[in-house]
Formats: sequence, structure tokens, C-alpha cells
Amino acid sequence: MGKYQLGEFEEIVLLTVGVLFGDAYGVSIKLAIEEKLNRKVSVGALQSALKRLEEKSYLTSKEGESTSERGGRPKLYFTLTAAGRDAIEHAREVRNELYNEIPKIALDLKMV
Amino acid sequence: MNTSHSNPPKLLLRFFKWFCDPRLHKYLEGDLLELYEYNIEKQGLKKAKWKFSWEVFKLFRPGIIKSFEGTQRLNNYGMIKNYYKVSMRSILRNKTFSFLNISGLSVGIASCILILIYVNNELSYDTYNSNYENTYRVIHYYGEQGAEPNFSSLPTNEYQVWGNAPAAPSMQSFFPEVHQVFRFTSDSPWLISYNGITFSETGILFADSTAFDVFDWKMLAGDPKTALVRPNTVVLTKELAKKYFGDENPVGKTIIMDTEDPFEVTGVVEVPSNSHFFFNGLISMSTFKNRRPGIFDSWGYVDFYTYFTLKPGASIDILKQKVPEFLEANYTDDQNYYIDFEPLSDAYLHSEAGRQPGAIGSIGNIYIFTSVAIFILLIACINFMNLSTARSVERAKEVAIRKTIGSQRSALIYQFLVEAIIITLIASLFAAVLVFAGHSLLETISGKTLPINWLFSIQNVLLGLAAVLFIGVVAGSYPAFVLSTFRPITVLKGSFKASSSGIWLRKSLVVLQFSLSIILLAGAAVVSSQLDFLQKYNMGFDSDQMLVVDFGYDGLVQQKREYIKQRFNNHKDVEMASVSRAAPGDFFPNAGTGITDPISGEIVYKGPAIYEVDEDFIPTYKMNIVAGRNFSDDFPLDSANALILNESAAKLYGYSNPEDIIGKSFEQWGREGKVVGVVKDFNYVSLHEEVEPLSLRFGTRYNVSVFSLKINSQDFSKTLAELESIWQEIIPHRPFDTRFVDQNFNAQYESDERFGMIFSIFSGLAIFVACLGLFGLTIYSTAQRNKEIGVRKVLGATTTRIVALLSKDFLTLFIISLIISIPLSWYVMNSWLDGFAYRISLGFEIFATSALITLLVAFITMSFKTVSAALSNPIDSLRDE
Repeated sequence: MGKYQLGEFEEIVLLTVGVLFGDAYGVSIKLAIEEKLNRKVSVGALQSALKRLEEKSYLTSKEGESTSERGGRPKLYFTLTAAGRDAIEHAREVRNELYNEIPKIALDLKMV
Repeated sequence: MNTSHSNPPKLLLRFFKWFCDPRLHKYLEGDLLELYEYNIEKQGLKKAKWKFSWEVFKLFRPGIIKSFEGTQRLNNYGMIKNYYKVSMRSILRNKTFSFLNISGLSVGIASCILILIYVNNELSYDTYNSNYENTYRVIHYYGEQGAEPNFSSLPTNEYQVWGNAPAAPSMQSFFPEVHQVFRFTSDSPWLISYNGITFSETGILFADSTAFDVFDWKMLAGDPKTALVRPNTVVLTKELAKKYFGDENPVGKTIIMDTEDPFEVTGVVEVPSNSHFFFNGLISMSTFKNRRPGIFDSWGYVDFYTYFTLKPGASIDILKQKVPEFLEANYTDDQNYYIDFEPLSDAYLHSEAGRQPGAIGSIGNIYIFTSVAIFILLIACINFMNLSTARSVERAKEVAIRKTIGSQRSALIYQFLVEAIIITLIASLFAAVLVFAGHSLLETISGKTLPINWLFSIQNVLLGLAAVLFIGVVAGSYPAFVLSTFRPITVLKGSFKASSSGIWLRKSLVVLQFSLSIILLAGAAVVSSQLDFLQKYNMGFDSDQMLVVDFGYDGLVQQKREYIKQRFNNHKDVEMASVSRAAPGDFFPNAGTGITDPISGEIVYKGPAIYEVDEDFIPTYKMNIVAGRNFSDDFPLDSANALILNESAAKLYGYSNPEDIIGKSFEQWGREGKVVGVVKDFNYVSLHEEVEPLSLRFGTRYNVSVFSLKINSQDFSKTLAELESIWQEIIPHRPFDTRFVDQNFNAQYESDERFGMIFSIFSGLAIFVACLGLFGLTIYSTAQRNKEIGVRKVLGATTTRIVALLSKDFLTLFIISLIISIPLSWYVMNSWLDGFAYRISLGFEIFATSALITLLVAFITMSFKTVSAALSNPIDSLRDE
């Protein structure tokens, strides 16, 4: 792991920002996670995760257009950085590696 | 969309804006609003609103809350942080000074709070009544001034709270302004039996059924409206109910009172500890009325306390004006009887009337305690200032450097104030611990329940913080405003010495501290020697080993009285026994008594107290007859027509020479006869008051309730056990209920003693705090003169000379303090002593002793440091030169 520190929720947020490519802002990320993973996400938890990821420079943010249903407030769009992409890939590799190392029998036993 | 658009909860948005990091705010608010709209469409307005608040609430988390460092005001926050850092460093670096400062201040603050708790409790008496402002009581005057005496100019105890029964109903029908009237009688002991257990209980009153309308006592069981209506019903206090019934519900149960009468318990009541009178049980007034109906029409029979409430909006002044009219309409027999009204709010602390229904407090003591509290705090603050001025030379360098680097004066002022406030805050934390530790001790000493909860109301906590701020600013004012003026050039050049104004201030503060200490110590000395005086005072009768056996007017005991007395007399340890209505120190009724006037020859009526005694009473108590003779079996008619007076009573009737009143005619409670003797004045009530006029009459047929036994025994408890077995043999139904006469009296001085104890403790603390400061100053001044001491020693000065040199300055200050404090404390203590009819005279020795003690304590404190400085090896101080 070493240089890529990523919590489970952070990983999901990072992935979702990637999925929503170009349209990732607070509400859309929240709704996407709620829909795909069927879990509740509060604005507060999401925002602190986004802020942490930005501080780790996995994400960058950019002010977008303001719309009337937001009371004239602008959206803050997030995009993955190169470091962010590396972090996701690293996380995925680690998982795959670990999965491959599980003896077959362990998985079979679970089936019984 | 437009319909819902306009109404997200505004207040929540504002709250969010307040705590949110401003850099994130607009985006997050946008998200929130968008979600709000989304939720309205999906789940409806109500749920959306609820979700919105929940989201805002969950946004209150680190990372989103704006940082304390702030964004725009970065510099100020940073500076305060720096002040804090520098202050903590300075506090930690000078451990001795910080320790002296903090310990002095915490003791000061804690003492102050404890005194505040006590004073607050004293001031809270009777305020638990919702009708507090509108409740009054009747005070009665039986005197010689004729109609309309001026109550405020009458001497203490000349008028009484104790009065007659008919005043209450007459007032209710005469004054339309009077709402509820409530009477109760003096407390008396009753035998209470339930399920075979019998105890003699004191503090049982007969009370009107309106008790719970006038006073807000909490009924734990039973109906306050009907509890005291029927005859033979009784309401018990929580404590008494617990004693007899345990966890059972006593309401509806029957107890036996005075061995024969069944009483129904109709209620259980809780009386707050801050009530100006207390009782253990209330018996319905109708019980009393059935027994002695005549009393309820008699204006001359005095055994009732009358309280009443006014109708809303009515004025007590109008009532007062109508008093002559009221007496005219209801009672004109006695031209010397008059009434007045006293507000309930004056009952505990301000009443000067005699015959109070309970113990009363003293507003003078409240003033004294409050001053002590202020003194202690002042002394602690002075310590702080003194130590800071003393250290000013050291701090001067810091100031100079800061100034050179570019600090402004205001910044330095802030810096020192912050430091002082931090020290005060730390001290108050320790003080809080001390308060909790000292609270139960204070409760024990004062004998009161002192609620502490009120301290934690929001208002008081804020007040406390304000006080901390204030104390910090006061204590830190000198270093803040004087040190900050130092000119860097003089300081850094090295020619700087402590400014003369600083030294002057320090000296005058030391003088102030010494003066306050001497005043407090002299006060404590005066209080304790006055109490000592009271206890050793010759009362005019023998109270030593005088045992009183109380049988509470029990008719069965009365029948066997002579036999019991004889059995007691036969016991080898009993010198003499006597029977009487009451014993010295108890409560006595007054009796309208007429005696021939020396000039006019007509019978003149006054109202001296009355003792009903037998012929052995005067010899048992070893009282002295100054004229005439004692009652005697040799004169069989004594029981009907003889009266003995005390000297005061003889004077009251105009006979300054006691011999002259012998043989004069008297009329008292329907009996007529001659005065046969005058007994020397003895103090039968309290030394707070002059000896009151007293008549002793031979009357053992009715109305006797105690045996007095003069015991002469080595093994008192053995004697007591033997007497008890005699008693149980003759009177098996009644417990052997005894007390000592000197106990009776000591109970009267209990509140004085407690006052004295509290006063001494806090004076001691004040002196302790002052010594802490003195100790600090000595450390400082010896450190400053370290080199001088070294040089002097090298040149041959002796240790004694050096100690004398170091102490000389303080000695001068001490003498100045003496000159200031002695007249002041003489004045204050003299006015305190004026509250006693029998008091010590303020001699020079009390002040000399307290001055000497203060000097000694101060000197011992200083010598810790001066002696070690004088003994130190000059090499250590001179080496680095």
C-alpha cells in the first residue's frame, strides 16, 4: 500500500467520480453511490471524503455553472487526477493479487 | 417548481453559513438546495425538510466547520495563541511564583464561593413560599407606652411574635384586605406511640387548617385542604413518619398521643430547611379548641403565632393605619396592648421581636461574612499584584526586547492581561475542587443544609466567568499597565531598577494586607473570647450537673409526683429534687400580674414571665434570696397566696430596694395574696438579653412538667441508669426523657458558636493567603539582595544582623498597618458586641495579642527565606561577579 492511502469509502467516491466523468459534483456523486451501492450517503460524509481526496491530490475541483434549482449557487465539479487514477489502479491490483492467492479450497468450503 | 422553491428553512441555512468553511459554503449550499428540491419531488415537503435539517446537522463535522484560525482574522487569532504560549511558558518557568499565585488565588476564590453559598442560604429563608411577598405576621406589644407605640424605636425583645388566639379571627373579619389567616402554638413535647414503640417528640404544634394555604410546605401524602380540619388529626413531617411507619403510608393510620388519645395521621409534610421555624408534627387546632375553648376568646392568654396573607393589591400600610380602630372594635380591656405587622421577608434576618417561633439569623453576621469574603479575595489579588511588581525587573527585559522588535504597548497590555486571566482560570479550577471538598465541612460546621445546585445555573456560571475575567484584570492590571510603559533603552542599558512608584505601590499593598489580616484575627479573637465569657458567666444559679426529667404535663406522673420526688431524693447521688413547670433555659409564659404601686398605693398591672415551682426549686438551683423568704411548708397558705419575684420584677413595679416590696399585695391569674420574697436576678433566658422580670409562684397542682435533680456523682451514666430504673418502676408507660440545664443554655449559644467557628476558619485562611504573598515577596527581596548579603557576610556581619536587616522593611510596614487596623477593628467588634446584654469589654490585650500573632506568623513565614539567605555561603552569591 505504502504511498497510496485510500479508505473504503474514499475508494468508492474516487471510482464514482471516474464513472461520472465530467458530471461529478456533490449531488450527482451522492445519488450515484446511493443508487449503485444501495447505501445512504450524507452530504457531510461525502464532502469530507472529497475534501480529503483533494488534499491527497487524487482529485481536482473546478467551479461550474450556476443553475436556478440550486438557488443560483454554482456546482463544484470534480475530476480524477493522474495520481487519483494510479491510486485506483493500485487498489485494484492489490485486491486482485490477494484474491488470486486465496487457495481454491477456501472458496469451495465456503460454498458448502 | 416555483411553489416549493422559496421555502428551505432559513434559520438552518444561516446556521450552516455560520459554521461552514467559507471556501466551501456556496457549493455545499447549492448541493443542499438541489437535494432539497429533489427530495420534495420524490418524498414530499415534510420529509424533505426533515432530511434537510438532518443533512445540515451531519455537516457539522471537522473538515467542514470553519477553522478556529479563521480566514480573515488570521493575525489576531495567531497573536492570542502566542500570548497563550508565552504565558504558559512564563507560568511554567517561574514555578515558585506561579505556585504562590495560584494557591493563594484558589484558596481566596474557594473561600469566597463557600461564604457566598452560606450567605445565599441565609438570604433565601422563607423565599420558597409563593406568597412570600404578601405574607405578614402579627407582632404584639404588652407594655406601658399606651396606645400606638413606635415599634421601630422599641428596644429589642420589648414586643413579641408570640400572642393571643382571638387576634387572628378578629382580623379576618375586620380587615377586608386579609386573605388567609394561620395560627400555631408554641412547640411542646408529646408522647407518640405506634405499634408498641413510644418516643417523646418535641416540636409538635397545634395548627390551623389554613397552614398549607399560607405556607408552601410540600404535602407528600394526604390532602392539604382537609388534613388539619377535624379534631384529633395530625400531620407528621417526613422524618417522623419514617421513624414510626418506615416505608408504610401513614395516612389513615392511628397513633396514640400522650398514652391515651388516638389520633389519625392525615398527612405527611416536607418542610424546607430554609424555613424560619420548624416542627415535627402539626395537630389540628380544633383538637385544642375542644380541650380548652375558653382560650380562644382570651386576649390575655398568650400562646399563638399569627401569620396572614393579603389579598392581591392590598396595602399593609392601610392595615397598619387601621390598627387603633381594630383594637377599639375588638379589644379594649387592656390599654397597654397593641399590635403591628411584620413582613415574612423580615422574619428571619431582620426581626427584633422577642419570643420567636424558631432560631433567627443575623443580618450583621451576613455583613461580616460578606466582608470577610471580599477581604480574602482582596488579599489574594494583592498577592498577585505584589508578586508581579516584584518580578517586574525580570519581566522588564522581556518587555524591552518585545518593544525593540516592534511590539506595541497595547499588545503588551494584552499579553500581561491574558497571562493573569490564565492564572486566574487555573486557580478557579483548583478553587472548584476546594469548594466541593469544603462544602460538606461547611455544612457540618454551620449545621445547615446548604444547597449547591444553584451555583450551576447558566446565569451563575456566566457570572463566574465574568468574575474570573474581572479578577484576572484586577490582579493583572499593575503588570499590564505599568510594565508596558518601560522604556527599552533604560532597561537594556542595564541601569534599570524597579520604579519607585512600583515599590511604593507594593508597600502600600503589603500594609493593606497586614491591616486586613489583623482586623480579621482581632475579630476572631473577640468573637471567641466573648463566647468563652458567655459559657463561663455566672448565671446566678447552679446549672452544673443539673438534670431535668421532662414528663410533658402527664397527668399520671402528676398523680405520683410526691412519691417520685421522694424516691429520687432517696438516691444517694441526688442532692435535691424539685418539680416545676419548666427549667431555666426553657420557654416561659408571661402573666398579667398586679402589684401595689409604691407611690399611688393602687394595683398596677405588668406582664412578667411566670415560673410555677415548688418549695424546693430555689434551694435546688442554689438561687439566692435577697429579701423575704422562700416558699415553705411551715406556711400552709403559701400555695394559695404567696408570690416571689426576681430583682428585675421588683424594679419593674417601682421597688428599687427589694426589701420594700415584701408584704405588698398582688393579683395574678385570679389569685391574690402577698409578695413573700425576692430572689437575686438570674439569667433564665439567654445572655443576649438582660434578665427579664420574673415571678415565681407556688403552683404544683397543675401545669408542672419537669423534675429538676441536682446530681452529685462521680459516675454519671451509672447514676442516670439507676434513676431510669426507678422511673420505669413507677412510670412504666413513659420513657425517661432527660436533658441537662447547661445543655439548654448552650443550645442558645450554638448559633453564636457556629458563627465564631466559621469566622475563625475564614480568618485563618485569609491570614494563610496573606502569608503566601509575604513569603513570595521575601523570596524576591532576598534574591535581589543576594550580593549585598554576600558582601556583608564577607565583611563580618552576623546572621542575626542580616536577618534583622532583611526584616526591617516589613516591620515598618507592619507598624503602619497596626495604626490603621486597630481602631477599625475596635469599632466593628464593638458594634458586634452590642448585640449581647452581657459582654466583654474590649481591652487592649485582645488587639495586642492578635497583632503579636500576625507579626509572629509573618515573621516565621519570612524567616524561612531570610535565615537561609543569612546562613548561605557568600561564595555562592559572589562567585559570578
